[in-house]
Amino acid sequence: MKNRLKVLRAERDWSQADLADKLNVSRQTVNAIETEKYDPSLPLAFKIAELFGKKIEEIFFPSEDH
Amino acid sequence: MNAMLRFLSGRWTAILSASTWILTYFIARGLLESDQFSEGMRLVVALVPIIPFAIFLMSMLAGIRELDELHRRVHLEALAIAFPLTMLLLMVLGLVELVIPLSPDDWSYRHVWQFLPVFYFMGLALTWRRYQ
Repeated sequence: MKNRLKVLRAERDWSQADLADKLNVSRQTVNAIETEKYDPSLPLAFKIAELFGKKIEEIFFPSEDH
Repeated sequence: MNAMLRFLSGRWTAILSASTWILTYFIARGLLESDQFSEGMRLVVALVPIIPFAIFLMSMLAGIRELDELHRRVHLEALAIAFPLTMLLLMVLGLVELVIPLSPDDWSYRHVWQFLPVFYFMGLALTWRRYQ
């Protein structure tokens, strides 16, 4: 699954640690999501969407091979 | 920062309780090998490490519950590596024992269990590499 998390975070001038703190997860988790090595759970995806004021599908979308 | 502090706090509690358990184990082992107590007392000494291990287990579980979802997945995948490796070790030892009698001084339960945390940490290291 692909995502726009890094772009959205950069737009707000947040560091990975800032975002991790707001989401109550570790910085490694934010990094793993941004680098698309880890797909977040649905509750975390909703939390991310809510934090950025967007719908989940505006942040996360399937990769081309799906 | 809160998540990280919780993670570190849980980790240090688990490390401290694990150190206590391992220290107790080696003290108990040393006392048992010195052969200076009655059989009943030796049995008590042999069972003493259960108490710090129970504390370690509780702190480990509490620490795991404090982790975020990625860290929990890493631990789960580490177990998924460590468990079959443990089965493999025991299976191979069992088969080898049919060919070559293994010395209980080298291959008893008190030696074999030490491989299990090694497998777990190997699993953790391998799994972490995937997500970094």
